[in-house]
Amino acid sequence: MSKDSQMRAAINQKLIEMGERERLKELLRAKLVECGWKDQLKAQCKDVIKEKGLEHVTVEDLVTEVTPKGRALVPDSVKKELLQRIRAFLAQHATL
Amino acid sequence: MSPAGCSHVNGYKVDNWKQNLRVIYQCFVWSGTAETRRRKAKSCICHMCGAHLNRLHSCLYCVFFGCFTKKHIHEHAKNKRHNLAIDLLYGGIYCFVCQDYIYDKDMEQIAKEEQRKAWKLQGRAFCFLTENLIQLLKQGHLLSQCRHICVPFVSTGIGEKYTTWEPTKRELELLRHNPKRRKITTNCTIGLRGLINLGNTCFMNCIVQALTHTPLLRDFFLSDRHKCEMQSNSCLVCEMSQLFQEFYSGHRSPHIPFRLLHLVWTHARHLAGYEQQDAHEFLIAALDVLHRHCKGDTINDNGKKANNPNHCNCIIDQIFTGGLQSDVTCQVCHGVSTTIDPFWDISLDLPGSSTPFWPLSPGGDGSTVNGESHLSGSTTLTDCLRRFTRPEHLGSSAKIKCGGCHSYQESTKQLTMKKLPIVACFHLKRFEHSAKLRRKITTYVSFPLELDMTPFMASSKESRMNGQYQQTVDVLNNDNKYSLFAVVNHQGTLESGHYTSFIRQHKDQWFKCDDAIITKASIKDVLDSEGYLLFYHKQFLEYE
Repeated sequence: MSKDSQMRAAINQKLIEMGERERLKELLRAKLVECGWKDQLKAQCKDVIKEKGLEHVTVEDLVTEVTPKGRALVPDSVKKELLQRIRAFLAQHATL
Repeated sequence: MSPAGCSHVNGYKVDNWKQNLRVIYQCFVWSGTAETRRRKAKSCICHMCGAHLNRLHSCLYCVFFGCFTKKHIHEHAKNKRHNLAIDLLYGGIYCFVCQDYIYDKDMEQIAKEEQRKAWKLQGRAFCFLTENLIQLLKQGHLLSQCRHICVPFVSTGIGEKYTTWEPTKRELELLRHNPKRRKITTNCTIGLRGLINLGNTCFMNCIVQALTHTPLLRDFFLSDRHKCEMQSNSCLVCEMSQLFQEFYSGHRSPHIPFRLLHLVWTHARHLAGYEQQDAHEFLIAALDVLHRHCKGDTINDNGKKANNPNHCNCIIDQIFTGGLQSDVTCQVCHGVSTTIDPFWDISLDLPGSSTPFWPLSPGGDGSTVNGESHLSGSTTLTDCLRRFTRPEHLGSSAKIKCGGCHSYQESTKQLTMKKLPIVACFHLKRFEHSAKLRRKITTYVSFPLELDMTPFMASSKESRMNGQYQQTVDVLNNDNKYSLFAVVNHQGTLESGHYTSFIRQHKDQWFKCDDAIITKASIKDVLDSEGYLLFYHKQFLEYE
């Protein structure tokens, strides 16, 4: 494992242990609902289902089709805010 | 993707499978305790590549974690013939034979219970937008003709995570017996209804319009949460509930509120009679009676009924009650004596009244904090609020007994907001009743659509006093932001006048309510109006 991914794993562990990951998830969830991202993605999913047909579509289909669009549609402000929160958390628990 | 589940789970459902599954949820999916969190942090990595991302799944038959994206879990499934895996992010069960996520009723039940347990353990507050309440109403959008249907309402005070509504058997029955459905679109006018003027009752009509369009109040009454404990038929809260049924029934003819009027006369004698009354007085009287009649709905945390009028938790208090902090500072020893009083509204003095409006004390800030149009010389709502919260020198004729100096000293008094209500009502004091004259002050006061109350909070004043003059705009603190949703206006003079109101039906969609006549209004109409009572709603609600 590269140094980078080692660091990632260590940060992730710390976040889970302190329960911060759950809090961040909830914050992200709220922000994505607010900015309308959830509704946009819902519309995308409906399109995929219509395309593939309700009887045949699988979760994999949805994931493959919708993930790239979903990633692109996240507003920068949300990314910034989450990053801020993570930085603040790391600053507080600087023993890493 | 059939909701009946797949047949391959039957191989799993043997022996102590329920308990095993619960353990998996508790330890690796929704970790509630610190111990499980630590274990999760350490062990939730792919057994093949060590990554913790990539949609980690756990095998249901043995202890194996593998990435989904890199197909490590698929390899394991094939090699060991272990056909079921669980997604550690969301708790979904994947069947490798069906090649899709499956929905098994028993497993879903266990998943839901474990999730609830974990959330309760963590016991946190969650934020959700006001608009989400309307979404709730839309999802449970079952307003049939005259039956009210209970929608599980996630109100403030319950520490539960928001989950989408799933109907019970009884609710499904009710739905089948009441087949009429009403769809709420972005342009629909449901909830709008004219009110007949029963003889100078426009003052009452305006307040009714404002109350029926207060989102939290509407949700409370439409989800049938009032349990009446009054023996007689004179409960104002029951009448209010009936009023909401009338407003949301879809009838377009104006409603005749004769029963409401009669009840108001019964309970607020000073408002009885066919003369023109003050809309603000009516608002306070109505809130008071509703608060008193809400006794049946006040439940403590222990499940006992609250008997203490000072710690009432009725819907009126939850929505309208705020705390006003009054600090009296002795000029000699600088000791501060603080009291906090509850309030339902803020009455603001206006320029042009007998009491001088200007000058403000130095240190006032945020002159353009609310983006109001500052036409030369025109007063803004923020100006009035700054005046309201300014330190006021009480003068030598009004000396206060100081607890520190043990004598009467001169002092300054300052009002700030300790706790903001969910709905803030601002009353512009346009009617002057001094000893000499009775007149109406028609000074134009501009008010904003969005209001930030942060500069007027007690906490802001404290940080100013501690030398933190530069108040960084805290992006994450949205607690003090308000949106305008109703405006009550008075036209005419003190002797003869008429009340009308503007109501916000949807975001940026306003209507003018003139007794029985409802017309569409532009935002400009609303903001250009004189303004007598201004109703603001908190933009972000949090559980306590």
